[in-house]
Amino acid sequence: MTDRDMEQKLRSEAKALLEQGKVDGIIGFEDGSLKFTTTPLITSDKDDTSRLVINPFIVNNLSVYLTEVKGRVGIVAKGCDSRSIVSLLQDTKVAREDVVILGVPCRGIIDLGKVEKLVGKDRDEIDDITRDGDRVVVTVSGKEREFPIQEVLFDNCLGCELPTPQEYDILLGEPTLPASSGDKLVSQEKVNRLKEMTPEQRWEFWGGEFDRCIRCYACRNVCPACFCERCFVEETEPPWLLAVPRWQDNLLFQAVRNIHVAGRCTDCGECERACPVNIPLRSLTREMYGIVDELFHYQAGMDKDASPFLAAYEATDTGDFIR
Amino acid sequence: MSEWEPKLLGFLCKWCSYAGADLAGTSRKKYPANIRVIRVPCSGRVDPLFILKALHLGFDGVLVSGCHPGDCHYQTGNYYARRRMAVTRKFLEYMGINPQRLQVSWVSASEGGKFTEVVTEVTKELRELGPNRLFSHDRQGHGTKATQ
Repeated sequence: MTDRDMEQKLRSEAKALLEQGKVDGIIGFEDGSLKFTTTPLITSDKDDTSRLVINPFIVNNLSVYLTEVKGRVGIVAKGCDSRSIVSLLQDTKVAREDVVILGVPCRGIIDLGKVEKLVGKDRDEIDDITRDGDRVVVTVSGKEREFPIQEVLFDNCLGCELPTPQEYDILLGEPTLPASSGDKLVSQEKVNRLKEMTPEQRWEFWGGEFDRCIRCYACRNVCPACFCERCFVEETEPPWLLAVPRWQDNLLFQAVRNIHVAGRCTDCGECERACPVNIPLRSLTREMYGIVDELFHYQAGMDKDASPFLAAYEATDTGDFIR
Repeated sequence: MSEWEPKLLGFLCKWCSYAGADLAGTSRKKYPANIRVIRVPCSGRVDPLFILKALHLGFDGVLVSGCHPGDCHYQTGNYYARRRMAVTRKFLEYMGINPQRLQVSWVSASEGGKFTEVVTEVTKELRELGPNRLFSHDRQGHGTKATQ
């Protein structure tokens, strides 16, 4: 089943859902204003459903809008997005009956930055990018160039454990197989390199990275797991953090954010993609995901009936660090 | 200038460790004056934010002390704290903060002696660890530059 087929199915299903009054709105993707981009489409108008798209550029994790949009909604979700939805269900931020999940069996999302680097051209100079099975065909000034798909996918798509949503109402295509386990190493590499450093070196590494942070909070705003109505960084009486250009303050914000979303964060990578100054935030989320998995054998967003990680305990939880 | 002394911030549960500290005092037990105490209703009240903020303010270490498993006044608060602290310690280490700077203990209201021991030991360890300069104003980060 091609993206085109899924797109057709999505449009008709979304239209039917709205017409039959099964949902009040649809959250999906439409073509973006720039080449090779998509932008979220949130609509309650059935005529807008013809603008819905499925292609290798549907990058955003739309589940972040679930806590904002009122009423019953239909939402387009890739495997990773569905895990974020499950996480929201666990936290009772969203009721299962209020969401119709239009599941997309995903074959990976293309990182435009990687394509640009590969062909040495900017987005505007590229005529076409087409996925063809395990290959990607990039057309630049009439000439076609082929690359293995792995070379252009986002890091967190490589070694994806759940390309097809586990939790869905309508599946738009045949399930895709999880990527081969060897690919997981790609995402783990950066983390491992950091772990080999001394603590002192790590602190300095983060210093170098968070020196650039402008505290725009884009990472928090795109994060489906960051759903506090009032974030601690906005507390002013007294303030937890000042708006000062100090990297330690920036790092403190991100560290606390990561701890707060432990067991909710599915390492979807939206924070890193949203970061305007390219801080490798996934090196933090990936490790937090690993810590929760290693210590408590808990993977975020896998089981909607499981208790939220931080709102649960086991009598056998590790306590070997306690005096 | 006088010799550097570690500063330890203690978050003590009012139902156990705080009373344990009281007992240590009324029993005339001696423990280092390096600990500053904040009373909390339960160890489960302690947000990891408090810990990071304390280190940010310049404390050399943080001690979170609550009731033994099974003894929580609210039945389960200390279990949540245990999970949260386990994750926080690991993450601190990954950031480059020595996890020894975050200590957790179970001290009941009748364990004035244990409270004395914990504070003495933690203070000694912090002294060996040296001052926390991670958040110093003059400290520049100079890791790798912009990475993709």
